Amino acid sequence: MSIITKKITKLENIALNPAKAVAESCKETGKEAVGCFPIYTPEEIVYAGGFLPVGMWGGKKEFKESEAYLQGFCCSIIKTNVELGIRGAYNHLKAVIIPALCDTLKCIVENWKIAVPQVPSVAIVYPQNRWAAGSQEYLIAEYKRVRSELEKITGVLITETAIEQAYELYEEYRAVMREFTEVAAKYPQTIDAKKRHLIIKAGYYMDKAVYKEDVKCIIEELKKMPEEKAKGVKVVATGLIGEPIEVLDIFVENGITVVADDLAQESRQFRTVGRPEGTIWEKMAGRILDQRGCTFLAEQKKSRGDMLINMVKNTGAEAVVVMMMKFCDPEEFDYPVYKAQLEKEGIPILYLEVDQQMESFEQLRTRIQSFAEML
Amino acid sequence: MFLGIDIGSSSSKVAIVDENKNVVAAKVVNMGTGTNGADVAMQAALDEAGITLEDVKYIVATGYGRLKFDKADVQITEISCHAKGVQTLVPDADTIIDIGGQDAKVIRLAGGQVENFIMNEKCAAGTGRFLEVMSRVLNTDLKDLSALADQSTKALAISSVCTVFAESEVISSLAAGEALADVARGANFAIAKRVAGMCKRVGTGKKIVMTGGVALNDNMVRSMAAELGQEVTAVPHCQVVGAIGAAIFAHEKYHK
Repeated sequence: MSIITKKITKLENIALNPAKAVAESCKETGKEAVGCFPIYTPEEIVYAGGFLPVGMWGGKKEFKESEAYLQGFCCSIIKTNVELGIRGAYNHLKAVIIPALCDTLKCIVENWKIAVPQVPSVAIVYPQNRWAAGSQEYLIAEYKRVRSELEKITGVLITETAIEQAYELYEEYRAVMREFTEVAAKYPQTIDAKKRHLIIKAGYYMDKAVYKEDVKCIIEELKKMPEEKAKGVKVVATGLIGEPIEVLDIFVENGITVVADDLAQESRQFRTVGRPEGTIWEKMAGRILDQRGCTFLAEQKKSRGDMLINMVKNTGAEAVVVMMMKFCDPEEFDYPVYKAQLEKEGIPILYLEVDQQMESFEQLRTRIQSFAEML
Repeated sequence: MFLGIDIGSSSSKVAIVDENKNVVAAKVVNMGTGTNGADVAMQAALDEAGITLEDVKYIVATGYGRLKFDKADVQITEISCHAKGVQTLVPDADTIIDIGGQDAKVIRLAGGQVENFIMNEKCAAGTGRFLEVMSRVLNTDLKDLSALADQSTKALAISSVCTVFAESEVISSLAAGEALADVARGANFAIAKRVAGMCKRVGTGKKIVMTGGVALNDNMVRSMAAELGQEVTAVPHCQVVGAIGAAIFAHEKYHK
């Protein structure tokens, strides 16, 4: 097996088996894990405390216990997290950090304390008026409060020096991921839609110091190979996450390649470059204040449509695929705005409504195949 | 000869075209995917055309059962096949409303090609299944629902978009003494409203046509037109449009 195949297979297995992967990462590093809810959490603070930040992006679980806290129309990612929390799947976590970035998350910040009392939680509320002068000061105060609460829960002192070191590591990880998405687009056969997603996802269950080296290795190995031609349609994906995984299988079957993304679980985590100047707190706050095109962070003028149009133009993509998680209202509210902009530019849109509990994919198969036939 | 088979959720449709793309046979069997409806419909169409399977040079399968039909040379989605069928039967149509047993689709055409489309979500609201449920509640044959609705004298709104809730809403209306005809018309309008919402998302053109089994319901077609404020016509042989499209694709694929 070649080096690149080995590395890709390793990361695919990790992404497909998060619980096992986290247990192994904890064992290898001697660290304990702290859960990080979507969409944004200050992972650097967690890492600086000597803990392993672990992404909590739901999964395919039948809802039973969580029904007591969340209605049928709530986001299935958060509902799965609550379900797993109540069932005890997160009992090994030292804590979870929950950002109040949407209505469901806002409520879970409170309900978690009752539903999953055995796993301590730390809430973080991001500023929405990011253009207001006080936003940076406020966000820094929130970060410092998160640090202090984590210190109280874990009994570990988290120094600014350690946070600076963690931030440097994370900036390097983010740069590696930006390069990966650019390079992967040139190798649509080796890095198909499913592999691309799994490689990126694996990073949420590993120590970033280890993970970034694996991704660097994949990039280097790819660069040694001649560039590949896409077999079918090249698309830009937007939305929350590129799952359920079966959807990506259908993409691959129909020759649909993701050449760039605006997914919350993928590029939104690393596309914004940190500010070079300022204190560590200002740099961390800057990453949120400077983030553009994300529905969870309000903008005075929505930039997502223009951003998607540019992504399509820059990558030579032929269409945009919307992965709409039921019933994510922030994402739903953005849709009519960027849809109109994309239509004006003549960019076709494939709208896929998904949730993590889906069992039947025939309707989606028809949509995806029809879209591929249409293009 | 070239054969197209459209295996839907509640019926199987087969069309056969000759070298000149003329339809020589078209059959509908009210048994859908998972049954032997596909084979029955195919045999009936072959008999009608007076040929055997050996005379068929190419087969295209479409519909939900397309991937399970092992006699097909290739599978193409019903969206592309309906567009192809309509392009042949009504060349100037630019918008297709296809309401089948388990889903509804609105397809926009440009130059005969699919330009955009929208499908309903995994839900019976706005589909033929909704009418099936309504006809059962009204103790009427599905094919008689249109004539019953024509007798309506007042507009009765069915506000629930969910088929299950709508069923209990209709039962309540009947218990309150509402006329069967008014309920039947209300059911058609409920679908029309739901599908009109889909039309808004994808936009409608100048010439709207309806395909699929629900287009057999004349009152439904008129309800659709009233809801959209535009003329809507049912494509002739509305149930087999997808199969005809598939047969034409078979012809084109063979000669490519």
